[in-house]
Amino acid sequence: MKQKRNAKALLSEYFIFVIFLVLVIVLTCLKPSFIQPSNLVNILKQASINGILSFGMMFVIIAGGFDMSVGSTVAFSGILAAMLGQGQYPLFVPLIVALIAGLAVGIVNGVGVAVGDLPPFIMTLGTMTAVRGLALLTSNGKPITGISAEYKAIAASSVFGVPMLAVFLVIVILICSFVLAKTVYGRRVYACGGNLLAARVAGINTTKIRISTFAIAGLLAGLCGFLMTSRVTIGQPTAAESYEMDAITACVVGGVSMSGGVGKSWGVVIGALLITVIANGLDILGVSSHWQKIVKGVIIVIAVLIDVKGKSKKN
Amino acid sequence: MKKMKNFAALLTAGAMMVGMLAGCGGGSESTSTGDTGSAAAATSDSYKIALIQQHQTNAFQIAVSEAAEAKASELGVDLTILSADQDAATQISQIEQCVSEGYDAVLFEPVDPDALGSAAKEASDAGVVVINIISACTDWEDYGISALSCGDNVTAGETEMQNVADLLDGKGNIAILTGPSGDAGGLQRMEGYENILKNYPDMVQVVEPADCEWDTASAQSTVESWLSAYDLDAIVCENDGMAVGAGNAAGADSGIVIAGVDGTPDGFEAINDGRMSGTVSQNGGAMAANGIEAAVTLLSGEELENNTIITDNTWIDASNIADYE
Repeated sequence: MKQKRNAKALLSEYFIFVIFLVLVIVLTCLKPSFIQPSNLVNILKQASINGILSFGMMFVIIAGGFDMSVGSTVAFSGILAAMLGQGQYPLFVPLIVALIAGLAVGIVNGVGVAVGDLPPFIMTLGTMTAVRGLALLTSNGKPITGISAEYKAIAASSVFGVPMLAVFLVIVILICSFVLAKTVYGRRVYACGGNLLAARVAGINTTKIRISTFAIAGLLAGLCGFLMTSRVTIGQPTAAESYEMDAITACVVGGVSMSGGVGKSWGVVIGALLITVIANGLDILGVSSHWQKIVKGVIIVIAVLIDVKGKSKKN
Repeated sequence: MKKMKNFAALLTAGAMMVGMLAGCGGGSESTSTGDTGSAAAATSDSYKIALIQQHQTNAFQIAVSEAAEAKASELGVDLTILSADQDAATQISQIEQCVSEGYDAVLFEPVDPDALGSAAKEASDAGVVVINIISACTDWEDYGISALSCGDNVTAGETEMQNVADLLDGKGNIAILTGPSGDAGGLQRMEGYENILKNYPDMVQVVEPADCEWDTASAQSTVESWLSAYDLDAIVCENDGMAVGAGNAAGADSGIVIAGVDGTPDGFEAINDGRMSGTVSQNGGAMAANGIEAAVTLLSGEELENNTIITDNTWIDASNIADYE
């Protein structure tokens, strides 16, 4: 009896991994070029920016929050990086400024939610709109062209065949996974999302923890802005529209519970890869991009359905 | 000497005018004769004109605002620029607002070709001069719209595809990146592509056109994926933003013909460093300026020679780009 339940729990926990493998096998059979090294490099490149955003989102959602503003933050920090990355300063200047801009948006979100007691959805909906406006205002609505060759080279280069963007992603994954799984801080993030009141009673400074999760999401969005400008070679105020949705999808599909307190980093990695593989696979098959939307939507609903069913069984 | 001559001419003109006015029996209206020039400026100064753009978030649209402002100050009219933020409902209420605030003329680029007709009709019924710019409303003349100042998206598409066909010597594998499905401008460009492709049976579309929503990053990902599975000779894009993304995916001087439409700074940069082969300029600024000129002509009681004012498009590549930057 117990064993049966374990097998079921195991299946529901690794379900997404199974889906991912099946998808990869099916795509390889349909179009062998899918599995060629050059396309695997594509998948890594395409997964990087969403992957990094998803890891920031993971912290926020596990702590019981929600962040709608990361897409706008990517655009805003990307614009700043493009303006400062024309070759007039060494490259760390646009990088640092993009990180600071992202961090600032994140802290504003965190303070609004943790101190101002605003629902995360409302608070970040506000910053999403306002920061998009800021991006349009700073760039005067036009794309910023003329970034330096060294800056363009960041996203275009690779280390031992691994694209540089993926190197950034791996570093972010390693640091975030370690912090979340192995540190006291990580435990407290889970505690805040699991039961905020209990965490407070247990003596955790929940205000600080919640602000910090939004700050991490903002900081990583700033990094994405810097990388995004390098990848597309221009700073665009309209870039990264609805990227927050892809990040949330990656988290939810990867088993991060929308009610907080639950989620593992490897799940988010699979979630981010799954989204990219769907888009890449359907592009390679030459399928109309309208189908991508349908497939993505169906997968989100199925993933959450499994999440909810798994929980109700536990109870 | 020349000044003297001018003064004399002015005096004669003034005298004639006084004579005419006296002849008509309206002498009380005549003011000092030297003021005829500035009097004309003063009347057009009171024209309140509104320009409602589809949105203000790309280089094309910013060029529209800048050219409109320049034209307005040249003609001495009072111009207000609004942005509908891609929302037809917003644009309808903006038109209604302009009517109730007593604007003399409203220029707009419809967010949707079919949604703005009745709002335009109400405005023109209320006595406002309504001018449609950049992309046409369906059956615009039926809705009281006085003039249409636009480029021709179908010809733009034809120009682009024709140049791609010439570069490929009429044969090869091609792929198309489109704007958001259902966008009128995009559909018209696609019609232009099809008109040309009919003549070139050896130019084959090896994949379905991909909807990349005018977005550079999305186009870049799609083209990266395509290139690992298909052997493409040309990628034809409905705007420059997506062509830049395609160019990034293919790399500089890739041997793949990559073309766009719009003639925006990001496209020019990509043409200069070999990531793009060329673009078709859509002179949005001229369309807006011509629209304002038409509005002022109509407001001052004159007739337009032609109520459809077409701005030409041109193919820009490395050979002539210096003239357009």
